[in-house]
Amino acid sequence: MEPILEVRHLHVVFDTYSGTVQAVRGANFTLKKGETLAIVGESGSGKSVTTKALMGLVAKPAGHIPEGEILFDGKDLTKLSDKEMQKIRGKDISMIFQDPMTSLNPTMKIGKQIMEGLILHQKLSKIEAKKRAIELLELVGIPDPANRMNQYPHQFSGGMRQRVVIAIALACNPKVLLADEPTTALDVTIQAQILELMKEIQRKMETSIIFITHDLGVVANVADRVAVMYAGKIVEIGTVDDIFYNPKHPYTWGLLGSMPTVDNEDEKLMAIPGTPPDLMNPPKGDAFAARNEYAMQIDLEEEPPMFKVSDTHYAATWLLHDDAPDVEPPEAVKKRMKGIAKGSISAGRRIDVE
Amino acid sequence: MTKYILQRLIYMIITLFIIATATFFLMQLLPGSPFNELGGKMTEAQEQILLEEYGLNDPVPVQYAKYMLGMVQGDLGVSFQYDNRSVTDIILDRIGPSAHLGAQALIIGSVLGIILGMIAAIRHNTWVDYSSNVLAVIGISIPSFVFAGLLQYYFAVQWRIFPPSFWEGPIYSVLPTISLMIFPMAICARFMRTEMLEVLGSDYIELARAKGVSNSKIMFKHALRNALIPVITVLGPMTVSLMTGTLVIEQIFAVPGIGEQFVRSISVNDYPVIMGTTMLFSVLFILVILIVDLLYGMIDPRIRITGGKD
Repeated sequence: MEPILEVRHLHVVFDTYSGTVQAVRGANFTLKKGETLAIVGESGSGKSVTTKALMGLVAKPAGHIPEGEILFDGKDLTKLSDKEMQKIRGKDISMIFQDPMTSLNPTMKIGKQIMEGLILHQKLSKIEAKKRAIELLELVGIPDPANRMNQYPHQFSGGMRQRVVIAIALACNPKVLLADEPTTALDVTIQAQILELMKEIQRKMETSIIFITHDLGVVANVADRVAVMYAGKIVEIGTVDDIFYNPKHPYTWGLLGSMPTVDNEDEKLMAIPGTPPDLMNPPKGDAFAARNEYAMQIDLEEEPPMFKVSDTHYAATWLLHDDAPDVEPPEAVKKRMKGIAKGSISAGRRIDVE
Repeated sequence: MTKYILQRLIYMIITLFIIATATFFLMQLLPGSPFNELGGKMTEAQEQILLEEYGLNDPVPVQYAKYMLGMVQGDLGVSFQYDNRSVTDIILDRIGPSAHLGAQALIIGSVLGIILGMIAAIRHNTWVDYSSNVLAVIGISIPSFVFAGLLQYYFAVQWRIFPPSFWEGPIYSVLPTISLMIFPMAICARFMRTEMLEVLGSDYIELARAKGVSNSKIMFKHALRNALIPVITVLGPMTVSLMTGTLVIEQIFAVPGIGEQFVRSISVNDYPVIMGTTMLFSVLFILVILIVDLLYGMIDPRIRITGGKD
């Protein structure tokens, strides 16, 4: 499959009173046409900032992109002016936000909020835009769309609002859809519905999706490939099978080990000790070294490069170096992997009661 | 909606009744009598005749009952200080300049303030923002009569651009309007800046950006309306402060307005005029609050008043 979006060596920094925060420190990944790439990682790992950078929405003047390229459609998005980015945002690349309760304008009818992008990018007349907006509301599963068009956000439930946000994002048939934790603010039953909706839409519209989440259950459910992000870098990337059945990076082990499954209710969840590094003064060497029980001397001195595991699978850990000792993932993680194989991840997956 | 307004009007009448009663009895505490102004030129007997004539020798409850009965019928009584002029007549004669001045100051002041606040928010943490902040603090902390004096001195006495006082045409309203509008302008600018910054940092503005909406459209179509909601809240009390502010300003610029009349009436114990003017201010105040409440609903759909199902 051909790539639609390529991120190369992306750096995003924020100037604050106490210093410069390096939120993203050289992220590399590609998004292929029609696939769903999940980016996972804990809070502060740079997931959201990466999507903001893709949208050209890094808050200026504090935030900027000193290095790196975002290649889309033959253009480097980091070099485009505000005006040029406005033409791409919402048309070619659009975004679904995390919290549907706050992401709709409370004083504007939802119909108007959907029509806005259509009139702007596709130069539709008001009547055409209205027709299309009703179709979109129907597509995202809102009953009685013609009447709902004239209502305000407060007249919708959380799940319904997220459907509206999705309709806004889909309005101009974007090539790339960025979903920044679209289900985090919703309750579990609604989460499953929204995920189903997104999968269905992807089938219909062949959009490429970048799905930001910290919920590995959701990842297993929706993604084709997974990128694990830590301290502003992608530390492991591969297909869902690569990451869940053959994880190589100790951080990925930690993430898998801390995920609850239906089977492991009687045992303790593994926790990753310590806290993420201070991105104002990132450590020398591997950023994860301080929390890594398998860390070696070299981890403290030099950053590991991306090692190739297979054609689809890469990981940045010195454990993959030829000279490194063979290390097996901890028992708990292996068990968890078996649990995933049986399909018993609880979160984000619809549990059918029979 | 109609039901809501009717309900509010009934509350309004009750409030007015309470205000009228309180003012009537408080007024009795004013020292002096309406007729000792004449400086002892009247004999005791003459004064007694006048007091009898105007019903001021009746017991206070009787006076009160008579007054309230008259008021209900739309009769606010006759002034003591002018010969045979009804209070209604005096008020109608004097309300024009005050209304003109107040409305002009409120509209120009709030519109300018809102614009200033918006600019400060857009350019926040730049010299534009800082200078608008300084202006706002000055406007809030310095009372209007200080500005009035300064304006009179420079624009009227030194440079002779505008007339210093009296009320003989639109140009006479310039200086009093400026001195009155500085306060509402400063308040609006402060509120608008804070609100605008908060709104511009909100998720729905980010979503609008993500749609590819241009900055100017985000300002006017998305942010302005949401930022206005709290500003409307301060507009109510501000209108009232303009009403009281006019008392002083009208004195300084010798504007024949209702405020100037009010102050004079208190100093000569002209009870009917005091009562009438107080009632007028109260009605205006209550109406302003009602209008602000209705405006709220127009701007913010979340608090729109619906008819109710019953």
